[in-house]
Amino acid sequence: MAINHILLVEDDPDIQVVARMSLKMSGIAKITVLNNGEECLAKVGEIHPDLILLDVMMPKMDGYETCKRLKADPTTQGIPVIFLTAKAQQFEIVQGLKLGAAGYLIKPFNPSTLHDEILSVLSQKASG
Amino acid sequence: MTKDMKPAQAISTQLKEADILHSLASAIAVVSSGNELVYCNDTFIHWFDVPRELFIGHSVSDLIDSVRSRFLPPEAAHECLRGDGDSVATREFTVRHGDHALSLRQDSSAWRDSSGRMLGHIFAFHDITREKAIDRMKTEFISVASHELRTPMTSIKGSIDLVLSGFAGQIGTETQELLEIAHKSCDRLIRLINDILDLAKIEAGQIKLTKVKLDLRDPVERSIRGVKSYGDQVGVKIVMVAPDDLPDIEVDKDRIEQVVTNLLSNAIKFSPEGGLIQVRLTVEDGSIYCRVVDQGCGIAEQDVDKVFGKFQQVGDSPRKGGTGLGLAIAQALVQEHGGKIWVESKLDEGSQFVFRLPLPEAH
Repeated sequence: MAINHILLVEDDPDIQVVARMSLKMSGIAKITVLNNGEECLAKVGEIHPDLILLDVMMPKMDGYETCKRLKADPTTQGIPVIFLTAKAQQFEIVQGLKLGAAGYLIKPFNPSTLHDEILSVLSQKASG
Repeated sequence: MTKDMKPAQAISTQLKEADILHSLASAIAVVSSGNELVYCNDTFIHWFDVPRELFIGHSVSDLIDSVRSRFLPPEAAHECLRGDGDSVATREFTVRHGDHALSLRQDSSAWRDSSGRMLGHIFAFHDITREKAIDRMKTEFISVASHELRTPMTSIKGSIDLVLSGFAGQIGTETQELLEIAHKSCDRLIRLINDILDLAKIEAGQIKLTKVKLDLRDPVERSIRGVKSYGDQVGVKIVMVAPDDLPDIEVDKDRIEQVVTNLLSNAIKFSPEGGLIQVRLTVEDGSIYCRVVDQGCGIAEQDVDKVFGKFQQVGDSPRKGGTGLGLAIAQALVQEHGGKIWVESKLDEGSQFVFRLPLPEAH
């Protein structure tokens, strides 16, 4: 499955580099990186990503709130969201999925798991 | 006071039980079988801010109706002053009291006369506001610690993964060897972080077991599959022995798998090359017993009590690794299931880690 464009929303510059390279290694053609939820909501309309990788703890607007707003907006609710976060407690995972996320990956992640999760979410979307 | 009476005796004769009950820091209420409020002490009146004379001898539902809006949420009020037949029951509520919220624990028990006839229920309310605040702080600490430790680990491990994959260019054999050491140490550190946070959660009472009825062989087989590659690496074989008619038991599947995995990882660590580990499941005295039997070096008698301690390394292992918390976590999780875990061992003869989980009582 060809994945054209992934939007990564992450505030940590080191993780931005590692995640971007991991995605590039997986053969993803285009990766856009934004620093927080506010930037994501402001720019998602012009970016039209196939999928959003969303951190949770970020300045200005956290990932939970961002996901909630993405899912409430008819123009963005169809874009699958995968949380990519260090929040690893059961209730945090449940909270993320309840907000409409299609996946939840806990940091530290490895590149192949990230790729597999993206593929799985996008193929679910294609078949559903 | 009479001439021969000691001061304490004099005080004792003057005490009235009602005074004692009114002076209690906990609130007390007594409800008859006919659902009427028979008694409440001063603390109850103070916390719920209700005039005693309006409600004594009247239906509890009138009282609950008048205080419903104080409960957070109001629907929780219907659980207040509700007895559970003969059972001793505990419930928790949050009620508004002045300008702050009061967390209360309600313990109820049956009220009987001397002939054993049930007269109603006795309720004791305890202020647990402070305990609740401490619990919230613990939850917050675990969440923040988890995030703060995992974030730098993500960059370290991710960078090593990428360099090892050759993505950043070809690397020499020695560089690869050094990076593989760093990679392994990263994985160990991540396991340690997970174990520390897991144990902190269990100790803070924040583990919620999701129990389902299942065949205990399922989580055991999953654990065996999970550690198989570690066993293969060091030439240790694992087999399970279980009766065909093993009854189902209600447990948290993932947590029991974690217990067995921890016991197996420990057994592999101490097994000689070519060794055999047996996982034996049996039914004895209304419980299912799970025994993990190894052919390792065994544990000296004086060290047996230490094995479930945190960061305790007992005996000589031919292999390094592990976080030092696996057995402590296994113990905590078995206890959380109402079970018991222990070790039977003789030096140079191997060890047998046993846990038992109670089966539901047959009716």
